[in-house]
Amino acid sequence: MKYLVSHRTVYEYSEDVRNSLGLAHVAPRPVAWQQIASHDVTIDPEPNDVSHERDAFGNVVTYFHVTAPHQRLVVDARTDVTVDSPRYDDAALALPWELSRPLHTPDTPGAWSAAEFAVASPKAEHVAEAHTYAAATLTPGRSIGEAATDLMHRIKADFDYDKTATTVTSSVAEVLRTRAGVCQDFAHLALACLRSHGVAARYVSGYLATQPPPGRERIVGADASHAWLAVWLPGSDEWLAIDPTNDQWANDRYVTVAWGRDYGDVSPVKGIIFTTAKRSTLRVSVDVAPAPAS
Amino acid sequence: MSVLRDYAAAVTQPTLPFASPRGSSARFDEVIAPDGTLRPAWRAMAPGALTLTIEDLSRLNREVSMLLADEGVTYNPADADPEPWRLDPVPLVLDSTAWAKLDVGLAQRAELLNALLVDVYGERRMLREGILPPATVLAHAGYIRAVAGTGATDPHPLLFSATDLGRDGDGEWRVISDRVQAPSGLGYAMENRRIVSQVVPELFHGAALHRIEPYFDAVREALVAAAPDARPDARVVVLSPGALSETAYDQAFLAGMLGFPLVQGADLVVRDGKVWMKPAGWPETTPRDRVDVILRRVDAEWCDPLELRGNSQLGVAGLTEAVRRGGVRLVNGLGAGVLENPALLPFLPALCERLLGEQLRLASTPTWWCGDPDALDQVTPRLLGADPTLVVRTIDGPRTPLEASDPAGLVDRIRQSPHRFAVQELLPLSQAPTWRAPASVDARPVVLRTFTLRHQSTYRPLIGGLATAVADGTLPTASKDVWVLKADPADLDQGLPDATTVTVVQSVPEVAPRALDDLFWSGRYAERAEDLLRLVLAIRSDADQLTAPGLTAAQSTQVLVGAVQRLCGTRWLDLDAEFRSVLLDGVRPGSVAHSLSRLRTTLEGVRDQLSADTWRVFAATDRAGSSLRITPHAHGIGESAGQMLTALLALQGTSANMIRDAGWHMIETGRAIERALQVGILLRATMVDRLVGEVEQEVLEAVLRASESVVTHRRRYRGGLYASGVIDLLVRDAENPRSLRFAVTRIREHLAAQPLSTGSTRPERLLDQLEAQLDEVQVADLAMAIDDRRSMLHDTLTDADAQLREIARAIEALHFSAGPPLQTYASLSLTELTGALS
Repeated sequence: MKYLVSHRTVYEYSEDVRNSLGLAHVAPRPVAWQQIASHDVTIDPEPNDVSHERDAFGNVVTYFHVTAPHQRLVVDARTDVTVDSPRYDDAALALPWELSRPLHTPDTPGAWSAAEFAVASPKAEHVAEAHTYAAATLTPGRSIGEAATDLMHRIKADFDYDKTATTVTSSVAEVLRTRAGVCQDFAHLALACLRSHGVAARYVSGYLATQPPPGRERIVGADASHAWLAVWLPGSDEWLAIDPTNDQWANDRYVTVAWGRDYGDVSPVKGIIFTTAKRSTLRVSVDVAPAPAS
Repeated sequence: MSVLRDYAAAVTQPTLPFASPRGSSARFDEVIAPDGTLRPAWRAMAPGALTLTIEDLSRLNREVSMLLADEGVTYNPADADPEPWRLDPVPLVLDSTAWAKLDVGLAQRAELLNALLVDVYGERRMLREGILPPATVLAHAGYIRAVAGTGATDPHPLLFSATDLGRDGDGEWRVISDRVQAPSGLGYAMENRRIVSQVVPELFHGAALHRIEPYFDAVREALVAAAPDARPDARVVVLSPGALSETAYDQAFLAGMLGFPLVQGADLVVRDGKVWMKPAGWPETTPRDRVDVILRRVDAEWCDPLELRGNSQLGVAGLTEAVRRGGVRLVNGLGAGVLENPALLPFLPALCERLLGEQLRLASTPTWWCGDPDALDQVTPRLLGADPTLVVRTIDGPRTPLEASDPAGLVDRIRQSPHRFAVQELLPLSQAPTWRAPASVDARPVVLRTFTLRHQSTYRPLIGGLATAVADGTLPTASKDVWVLKADPADLDQGLPDATTVTVVQSVPEVAPRALDDLFWSGRYAERAEDLLRLVLAIRSDADQLTAPGLTAAQSTQVLVGAVQRLCGTRWLDLDAEFRSVLLDGVRPGSVAHSLSRLRTTLEGVRDQLSADTWRVFAATDRAGSSLRITPHAHGIGESAGQMLTALLALQGTSANMIRDAGWHMIETGRAIERALQVGILLRATMVDRLVGEVEQEVLEAVLRASESVVTHRRRYRGGLYASGVIDLLVRDAENPRSLRFAVTRIREHLAAQPLSTGSTRPERLLDQLEAQLDEVQVADLAMAIDDRRSMLHDTLTDADAQLREIARAIEALHFSAGPPLQTYASLSLTELTGALS
């Protein structure tokens, strides 16, 4: 599928902001199943300093520093992207999950770099409840493809999608207690479940193209930033992308932007302002518009 | 009796009580060989050392404590009040042969750690090749991804490191841990040396030991040379977490010794991917002074609220980006904290072979990384047996041992995430003679901290260090100076050629708004304390002169005490108790003790700009206060107040020697404002209600004494003492340094020297107004009393007081503003709207 993705973030402040330093992870990254035809980020007011770099995970990160006084900051990212459904090596999916534990199998090719995703990270803490919850899925010798899919099913069945239940700072323990959350909560939960058993898995941020209900027009701007996870397949050194929020493997409607250990590594826009303003309003508008195939 | 001979007798007879929990029989003694003779290092100093008696040592210990108090040397334990720094009078002495071995080992270790840092933040070959298990690095909280694999090319991210060592049972030094984030202690080491060399000059001069001052020249040179584009006029700053930091003294001392400004995160800003001193008036003003090198004493995660810890107020937003672009050099690099990691120790021999092609020279204390299943199996039985010689640590946690009351539970915890833990063997450590109050010497275990610097093209350890007699039961930790003897007295100190000529060509840096704030208030508190002391003394001498207190004396004293109580409220009706409280009660606002304590706090914020003599004032006022507390005699009040005043006058002497920059002018601005306020308060309390006869004479005399204007008055008004004369002298006289008018002129002059002053800023306009008003009033009107009340004097002074306070607020708003507060995008009360934009 080919999409025109627009991701617009607007901050409005009650008073002037004199200095604003930001970091944005809003550029979809090229991967085997995803090609970027064009990408452009504009920031308003015009930053006095801006640079695009690769972070430690290979994602594109935009650093900007706005020094003009402003009460409104806009980060507008537009991407022309073509996505296929990822394909995985069947033999790799069939290997027992125990082999996806790089700390136990340091000699497997790729294990040294997967190790980073097998240990606890700040937003995916290894609480005992997550370990217990996952034990029912990770039965001895079960294939990694099946185990990951089963965990995804269970989270979908056991947890409610509820935008009011959590905030960006919700911990895995809170999600387990309230049995509710949003996409990034489910991704963090699944990461804690897998990693607390030693399985390497990474957090993925991106977009999901929504389909309008039958007979209705697609609403522009109603899409959202999305988050899911990907599990290490040592057999092929690939990463199986699963979405517990929608109970499906990521397909050609998933646009991958960035990956890291958790949300903290790849939050779309974050920054520091110098201001006496007391209030601000944030609007995020994401539109993943199917483009006519050329 | 010779202390050393007694000590030798005691340590060679195991029956004597030098037993410690770990058993001292295995301990290497730093002074006495097993056969009871002196070790070579001490043999060299034997003539001086052997004559030391316990009385000598007791005196030395007293002198050391006195000097430390004079210099205000403190250590601030976390969550507790500052403690005086403790220094044992007996140094740890090492001979040149013993040192030479340590020296090459430490230099190699720094080279190895640097190479390892370059690798784990760059190619990660050691992880890829399996020489170092990836989890030891990638699961460590000090691994800073923001500077990993991004092409941030700092070939020497490790410029300065510290290493803690202890001896094993055979007397071999082994590394306990490395300090690389923000190594502390070099300042304390220098301070220790200065003090010990003062108190034991005979011993000191008898021994040919390496002086350590030349090392600071090397540190200065290395920091300047670390500038990103090798500019000879590079600006270096020392970044401190603030005066409340544990090692604030060490930071300020080091900054002062090196001659680099001590700054806090709020004093710096990032612009164009570079770091600058935050100018006064920022963000409306553009930064001018670029910072090239930051010697950081702030842990990496607190250094940048943008990319590291978002809620940090200690850092500089955008610093990480400036580092990545090579716009600034951090010492040590942001990622260095990953080396403070016991999990690395078992792999150092292999890493050394691979990275340097050499064998590791300096062994570490035996350590097992639990992420290695074989290692874990090996130590598990000992852990389950609660072996007291083992300590369990997380790879990145604090160095306090984990609670091991439940060995099985501990092993379970380790097994849940074994890669997070390391197990270390406790070294027996060596022992050294250490003073114990009231009059004895103990053999206490010691740890040695060494320092290593990359200077020119090699790593060079400080020939010396900082030793610690570790806390033992009720005995607190005490530091020791470390003496390394020269092989030949002609050897160069630190092996460095004399004073390497570094041309530090740099303009005087702009004083940060925060520092100006502290300096302004230091001026105000110093003046406030001084004026109150003069007033107390004026009243006391009045009372003392009157052998038979009559009615008039009681009345005049009452009036004058009224002035004191205007400054600090009424607490006691009993005069003696009231004076004691005014001098000593630190929680009584306005009291001398209160002003002194605030003065100290403000000065600590700008310690690097002050001479070491500054701190003597507090040692002297503390002593004066203590002696007053213990004496029941009333004359003690006058004596102590006099000693405190003398100390404060000495402080003025030290500020007179300061360079005349914006900071000095701000101290003087604060002083002048406070003096103007104080004279107004004094006059309102004593002169608004008209007095007559002897009472008036006594009060006028006391007012002149309190205002240090007796002599001036005598010269101006040769005749008698009249209210109008006193008012003229203290309000309108433009020549009398103690007058209100004079103080206002001083405020104007000193304020004009501030970079933001234009002649028409708000504080300056307010001053214009006050000056005009003061010039208009007539002394005759002020002195005129209707119904025994000088209303005009009252109104004029009250109005001047209000205007002066407004001027002070205007100065704060204009000159001390650090700009708007820093917040994260998400920290404002955020209303989040998602969905279609119209």
